[in-house]
Amino acid sequence: MVVGVGGVAVGAEQQTTAEPVRRSRREVTRGLLGSAAALAMAPVVAASRPLPTAGPGDAGAFDETYRGRRIQGVPVSDTGRRLVDGVWQITVDGRPLHLMRRADGTWLSIIDHYTSYRTPLEATRAAVDELVPGRQLRDLAPGRFGGEHSGVHPGGHTGKGGQHGVRA
Amino acid sequence: MVYVRKDVSTLTAGERRRFVNALLELKRRGEYDEFVRLHIDVYTADGENGLRSAHMAPSFLPWHRRFVLELERALRRVDSSVTVPYWDWTRDRKATSVPWTKDLLGGNGRRSDRQVTTGPFAYAAGHWTIKEGVTDGKFLTRDLGRAAAPIQLPTKSDLQRALADPVYDVRPWNSTVRKGFRNRLEGWGSGSGSASWLNHNRVHRWVGGAMLGGASVNDPVFWMHHAFLDLQWTRWQRAHRSHRYLPAEPPGAGDAQHGRVVARHEKLPPWDETPDQLEDLSRIYRYG
Repeated sequence: MVVGVGGVAVGAEQQTTAEPVRRSRREVTRGLLGSAAALAMAPVVAASRPLPTAGPGDAGAFDETYRGRRIQGVPVSDTGRRLVDGVWQITVDGRPLHLMRRADGTWLSIIDHYTSYRTPLEATRAAVDELVPGRQLRDLAPGRFGGEHSGVHPGGHTGKGGQHGVRA
Repeated sequence: MVYVRKDVSTLTAGERRRFVNALLELKRRGEYDEFVRLHIDVYTADGENGLRSAHMAPSFLPWHRRFVLELERALRRVDSSVTVPYWDWTRDRKATSVPWTKDLLGGNGRRSDRQVTTGPFAYAAGHWTIKEGVTDGKFLTRDLGRAAAPIQLPTKSDLQRALADPVYDVRPWNSTVRKGFRNRLEGWGSGSGSASWLNHNRVHRWVGGAMLGGASVNDPVFWMHHAFLDLQWTRWQRAHRSHRYLPAEPPGAGDAQHGRVVARHEKLPPWDETPDQLEDLSRIYRYG
């Protein structure tokens, strides 16, 4: 059997929380830049709001200054029909920060890929902790491997045009 | 001809120089950044849909085995004497130990901005500008030992706990499993904070800077780290000869992991090989 790389087959427990159509991190990220203005309209949550102790992902939108950086986050709805749990638009100083979700409900950011946090806010603060002073997030442009998890070309290889093909 | 991957602490001055020069040549040609990019692109977390080939999945080990081999092939096209050395972080545990020397990877990042300023990969040396980074910074960063809240590298006994588990991996084949060699080595623990970072993950955390993020391949220590993890897989195989890569068969249509993990005889994107074909590469290289 060939693994359905682009497939959206998910188990029953995912169906309540997952997007109907999977979006790559880059699609999500690209959407962020266009919605920076919308983010500014997001409900402002006081920075002193206590972190929830349970239900990661259920935290509300946030907009605060953390270590001198403006961090904003809002759960995004999909085509306005329903709130999609698990997809957040996050920015740090207006630059998109991609978050990923673990199966246990915790969150990872692209800055800190090997530690997960209870909420998007915690993950965003942790990302800021790792940002070098004066540096800004970079929106990673689509690479030669394409978009949608594209490292995934059957028979593809790193290197140009598969010239590095290797049979192990 | 089977070649040998050596402990980086045993490399001669000439071997160190040739390894570094081959890396710099791949960088100069633009090939190195393709490896950085690929690793960014294949990172799918287990709370999301889609196939997980490289992380939070059984194929963590064969995927990275193949990835290191691809880099090694590229290095050997530059200099056929070069192999990827491994960093035994259970032995070389200090920020001043090998491989953090001027003739190899250079030292820690400086305090102000974590910029690596020594060795061949320092920005000022002119050969290692970060192009596929998660920030707009052009220089390699490190925070060895995590200055703000120090942690230690994993120990021999941490590694032994992974090696002692006879089962390769268990359902649901993701970051939440608490048993199985694969995740005990990959290192997704429960809870948050220092205790939740085990083996592989903990080393990424200990090195910090670039190694902590999606573009961790920007730090060449990535390869030495993953060569050492690859060696652990080989050791595990020797210790548990009746055990193999799991799952042997793809999860069925009713399984939440259906289409999300790579079974033993399925191709492991983006490579042409299956985990089955990657379990034994002793005809290509061995560890010294």
